[in-house]
Amino acid sequence: MAEGETRTAPAIPGLYRRAAVDSVLKLDPRTLISNPVMFTVEAGSALTTLLYLQALTGSGEAPTGFIGAISAWLWFTVLFANFAEALAEGRGKAQADSLRKMRQDTTAKKLNPDYTLIKGREPNEKYIAVVSSSALRKNDLIYVKAGDTIPVDGEVIDGVASVNESAITGESAPVIRESGGDRSAVTGGTGILSDWLIIRVSANPGEGFLDHMIGLIEGAKRQKTPNEIALNILLLGLTVVFIAVAAALYAFSAYSVQAAGAGTTVTITVLVALFVCLAPTTIGGLLSAIGIAGMDRLIQRNVITTSGRAIEAAGDVDVLLLDKTGTITLGNRQAVEFIPVDGTTIQDLAETAQLASLADETPEGRRIVVLAKEKYGLRGRTVGASETSIEMQFIPFSSQTRMSGVDQGALHIRKGAADALFRYIEMNGNTVSDELKEAVDTISRVGGTPLVVAQNGKALGVIHLKDIVKGGIRERFVQLRRMGIKTVMITGDNRLTAATIAAEAGVDDFLAEATPESKLKLIREYQAGGRMVAMTGDGTNDAPALAQADVSVAMNTGTQPAREAANMIDLDSNPTKLIEIVEIGKQLLMTRGALTTFSIANDIAKYFAIIPIAFASTYPALAALNVLGLHNGILAAVIFNALIIVALIPLALRGVQYRAMSAEDALRNNILVYGIGGLITPFIGIKIIDILLVLLGVG
Amino acid sequence: MTHESIQSMIKKQIKPAVLIFFLLTLLVGIAYPLVITGIAQVIFPVQSNGDLLIHNGKIAGSSQIGQPFSSPQYFWGRLSATAPVPYNAGASSGSNLGPNNPALLAQVQARADALHAADPKNTQAIPVDLVTASGSGLDPDISVAAAYYQVPRVARERTLSDSDLFALVASQIEPRQFGIFGEPRVNVLSLNLALDDISAGKISVPQPAGSGADTNDPPASIFGMRIADWIQLLLFILLVMFIVVPLGAWMAKIYTGKPNVLSPILERIEQKILILGGIDPGEEMDWKEFAVAVMAFSVPCIAVVFLLQLVQQVLPLNPAGLSAVLPDLALNTAVSFATNTNWQAYVPEVTMSYFTQVAGLAVQNFLSAAVGMAVLVALIIAFTRKSGTTIGNFWVLLTRSVMILLPLCLIVSLVLVSQGTPQTFSGAVTVPLIDPVKDSTGALVTTQTIPLGPVASQVAIKHLGTNGGGFYNANSAHPLENPTPFANFVETFAIIIIPAALCMMFGVMIGSKRKGVALLIAMSLIFLPLVGLAIWSEGAGNPALSPMGIDQVPSALQSGGNMEGKEVRFGIVPSALFAVVTTVTSCGAVNSMHDSFMPLAGGVLLFDMQLGEVVFGGVGSGLYGMLIFAIIAMFIAGLMVGRTPELYGKKIEQFEMKMATIVILIPIILILAFTSLAVLTPMGQAGVFNPGPHGFSEILYAFTSAAQNNGSAFAGLSANSLFYNLATAFCMFVGRYATIVLTLALAGSLVTKKIVPAGEGTLHDHRLLFIVWLVFVIIVVGALSFLPALSLGPVAEYMGMIAGGMIHG
Repeated sequence: MAEGETRTAPAIPGLYRRAAVDSVLKLDPRTLISNPVMFTVEAGSALTTLLYLQALTGSGEAPTGFIGAISAWLWFTVLFANFAEALAEGRGKAQADSLRKMRQDTTAKKLNPDYTLIKGREPNEKYIAVVSSSALRKNDLIYVKAGDTIPVDGEVIDGVASVNESAITGESAPVIRESGGDRSAVTGGTGILSDWLIIRVSANPGEGFLDHMIGLIEGAKRQKTPNEIALNILLLGLTVVFIAVAAALYAFSAYSVQAAGAGTTVTITVLVALFVCLAPTTIGGLLSAIGIAGMDRLIQRNVITTSGRAIEAAGDVDVLLLDKTGTITLGNRQAVEFIPVDGTTIQDLAETAQLASLADETPEGRRIVVLAKEKYGLRGRTVGASETSIEMQFIPFSSQTRMSGVDQGALHIRKGAADALFRYIEMNGNTVSDELKEAVDTISRVGGTPLVVAQNGKALGVIHLKDIVKGGIRERFVQLRRMGIKTVMITGDNRLTAATIAAEAGVDDFLAEATPESKLKLIREYQAGGRMVAMTGDGTNDAPALAQADVSVAMNTGTQPAREAANMIDLDSNPTKLIEIVEIGKQLLMTRGALTTFSIANDIAKYFAIIPIAFASTYPALAALNVLGLHNGILAAVIFNALIIVALIPLALRGVQYRAMSAEDALRNNILVYGIGGLITPFIGIKIIDILLVLLGVG
Repeated sequence: MTHESIQSMIKKQIKPAVLIFFLLTLLVGIAYPLVITGIAQVIFPVQSNGDLLIHNGKIAGSSQIGQPFSSPQYFWGRLSATAPVPYNAGASSGSNLGPNNPALLAQVQARADALHAADPKNTQAIPVDLVTASGSGLDPDISVAAAYYQVPRVARERTLSDSDLFALVASQIEPRQFGIFGEPRVNVLSLNLALDDISAGKISVPQPAGSGADTNDPPASIFGMRIADWIQLLLFILLVMFIVVPLGAWMAKIYTGKPNVLSPILERIEQKILILGGIDPGEEMDWKEFAVAVMAFSVPCIAVVFLLQLVQQVLPLNPAGLSAVLPDLALNTAVSFATNTNWQAYVPEVTMSYFTQVAGLAVQNFLSAAVGMAVLVALIIAFTRKSGTTIGNFWVLLTRSVMILLPLCLIVSLVLVSQGTPQTFSGAVTVPLIDPVKDSTGALVTTQTIPLGPVASQVAIKHLGTNGGGFYNANSAHPLENPTPFANFVETFAIIIIPAALCMMFGVMIGSKRKGVALLIAMSLIFLPLVGLAIWSEGAGNPALSPMGIDQVPSALQSGGNMEGKEVRFGIVPSALFAVVTTVTSCGAVNSMHDSFMPLAGGVLLFDMQLGEVVFGGVGSGLYGMLIFAIIAMFIAGLMVGRTPELYGKKIEQFEMKMATIVILIPIILILAFTSLAVLTPMGQAGVFNPGPHGFSEILYAFTSAAQNNGSAFAGLSANSLFYNLATAFCMFVGRYATIVLTLALAGSLVTKKIVPAGEGTLHDHRLLFIVWLVFVIIVVGALSFLPALSLGPVAEYMGMIAGGMIHG
């Protein structure tokens, strides 16, 4: 996991104090009922408190101090579980607060209904009404200009502007937002740096993506995820069993006293203690904390989601559809070759290309300079010349012309995409030679991108730009394969090119010449075969496929339809984020599974701590089962049961360690650590607590 | 699903329920026993009629049934707990005394005192089978050691030489059957008849044949168990392993309608039944229709057995003239047999007419087993289908299940008849006693009534269908129900083969034999240690008897160990093996009295059932229970590997977990709640026989057995009371049908799910790791639910025993 990309959890002042207060507030049974395991523990705590009060009057069923101690520790058990949840929520809230800062009420320039859009023209003042952002509704039109903060989420319907999105992405470089295309979505709270936009509001206040996310991590709207519900059913089942076990023991004990003619019936205090120790309190107490923390980990990686379900589904994904560009290959291609045409020498071409690129700060521009330098030794001379030349004027790349270049007096050098340059050449009255066309085609055929260089409207040659597979991506795919996840590269390239890159990157499969329809079809095929499919996308034409995929991540830079179709948005717009999301999903499930196993395995030791002591008066021979030689086994078990929740809070919040490995290996490791560990730990823990209790003079 | 459509479903299934019930009753309740009786009477005329012993031209008794001998000039047999006289063949029974019951120790002491009084000079340790009561109360045999022990007394009384008598005993030794099965033993009746002949000068003393058994050599043993015991045990395990492959494959063929060896006959019968029943075999059912069909079928099953008992006095085949059964007992019995439990709160010999047994109980043995198998197949179908909503046709699967059981029953019946199990519709025969005894009123009893009946045909299905309801009260401890060590081996084998082979069938049907083998291995990993524990516990004997001068050490001449409630012909290992097999499968037949097992072994038997009857389990029900445990285990395991769990490619989600959890919850709650109710109320406490923790175990065992549909008992409990009849009937009914309906709902949900292809990310459900995990989950669920209860029963008793003191003062 690339640590640099994660938003480290901020040190939150008063986090623990607030969590402590919350854990008391959460004792409200109306709140606690949503967690049946802890609710029953609270009921037990209340019952033992009543028994304690009864004991205070002198008619207790057991020594007052014992009932009091048990009762106190049962309350602690509930409080500790509440604390875990409150802590997770607190950390989530801190994340949410920083997100919420951008949701502060701002004013908005609403365009009234009389306004009719005229493309490319700013609206007249008379149509503009300044309103509070909270008064905006879906489909309202608003106007923003440089210096404004975009009040709500929306879609650009006119204008081009640079926008500062650092508040949500942490990336300081401004981004371009414009109507149409794949960069039309804007997020509330981001600021306009230049120019102006007309935006159609895409969500009512409080219904935006961020609002959903804040609701989720604050717990208010947190819905349980499917696996969590299924696990809750199991835990509830176990709880019912243990209630039955404890209740039945009262009857069994009463009968045994009668049958053996010795001892006294086991006390209710002991039975409640036994029940709480057996009930899956460890997992029950930490379950919601695990869920919230999982969501929190997602936000730390700058991914927001509207459903916890999607995170869980991410853990199940077995097919990943990945866009080639930016995910598998570097977004920037490398210049690998100069191909002169129409009689130009290679030296001339290299020189001209270098000149055109010297001031070009795009990665591709730099690659061309590097190629010229390394392959043709073009260094000081040209550079020196360019620096001293006052007339040299750099023409930056624009999306209208799709060319960049340099003008130096009468010298006009242009480079750019083949079709744009062909047009430029023809506009200058020249013809595109067959040789040029062939050079362009050759490069395209082998998976490269041709960049045509022209001087004064005449073609000099072609630069071969090649896709570079990202370093480490191959290893990543090996890991994914080991996790059982199949990777499929999606590209608009032809089959040949796609196959070349697929083989180089080590993906399992690829979809070449991808169209929105073919992507959708591919996803459906996989799903029909029982697979869970994840994909990333940013364009409007990705929307159907995003909607179809089980887990879909839209780039924050993507269009509004894409963002709406997806169930997650990556604020960093980093296509490899999907892999991290899968890992977070798996980690979430693994943490639940591991703690469930741990919780259940713990019970064996607790039996050995409680049963021999509970029935010793009736059957003294059972004392031989007190293998630990405990003096205060029941109290020690209850204390252990409470403290283990606290001890495991960090694990619940952090999640169990995730490493890419096969399911078998993962299970073996987790059984060893949490199963066997869960069997042994309580024996040691209870013994230590018992020793401490004796040292403290208890019993 | 609307109310109306459920009603219309019920309406639709009433006709087939009634028709199929009567057609199958004709087949397995009338045709089957008649065919077996016909064959048996022709091929095995002696064996099928009580194996009567003709001595000097007169009937001198049954060679299978022991007679009481108390005069010093005769060799004495085992103690007998039958009432009102010992060796009352009309009411077989064990003592059911618990190992720590003071009454047991008093009984042992009294017998030891009697032996010492009759022969004060004999200071040898007394072989344990001479001081303990047999399970049937009719054990015809004593160990060779027990016969040798009595030689000096009998020789003195009859003024014969010791060496002559030793030679006579040696000539009477019945060796291990085929050199392998059971214990070498001496038939007491036969020995005493020969003794009388010698005294009367009719025959001469036989010459000692060879060196005979080496009395002083300790038998060769491995890990403390005699080689002979190892051979029986390993042979059993190997044969089971051997048979499950072809049997599983054959069953898969039957269920999928593929041609097989027996299709020319079976298919014809099957088609006839389905056509007459108005069933379209191609019409499949969704889970609700299937469940409605199962429940509709349960109505005639329970009702007919109930009614038969109430009117049996006016029906034919009632040679003993038995009267109507009381309604609460009749209801209990009807539910018991329809639910495949076969809990018996009655003494069959004096309660059920032949007609009730044959047309009522034995029919249910077939049908309840077939229902369980049909439900299992529906669940398997749900796992195998890639999509859809239907899980097969209940009537077709039910009929095919009967087609599987019938031929196997035919074989087992005839084997049993060949070994001496009766198969006749004639009434009991009366034989004279050689050494008449006084009954409890002091009246002299000179005859013995040998009960007969169509036993073999019913016993065969009792085992193959994991039913367990005995034709006689002593069940498979009864010398006629389980006459020889080989018969015992076959009976034990018959219990386990279908549940075990169903795993292989599952593998075949799901398209991966390894998955079936995996389940079988998981079951075996639980089964084998439990067998070991039970054998060890029983073989070690009862420490309370050792100070009384009782010899419990295994040797070449006796099996030793805890012989109370066990039969000499079987000995310890086959008895302990049978007990574990019958409790891990939900059979419930017994060849020794579980109530008299040592605390640890008794605890093992209880725990066997408390594991949920999924280790082999009942036919059908065991494997569907196991699959439900696999769902739970896979769910937790799946979480631990970080993905939504899949079992056999089907995703396990909320609905599956809900059904699986409730299925596992039901019997646990039933057992704990009803045991609580019983121990807290006078009606419940009234049934208890043994004192102390053992008495608690009896109640716990009863409700465990009922809720898990096992049917065996700590039989000291007086269960024929209104309270127990109704309470256990409720447990049996809910434990069976609630589980079935939920399992079908689970199948209904699974069948609609896509099959996720297995990949590296899938947790393989056939590899050792998952198998071990599954075993762990099963044991932990069982242990967590029942350890506290067990700790107040068998564990308290065991701990008290090893602490040296008797628990009950």
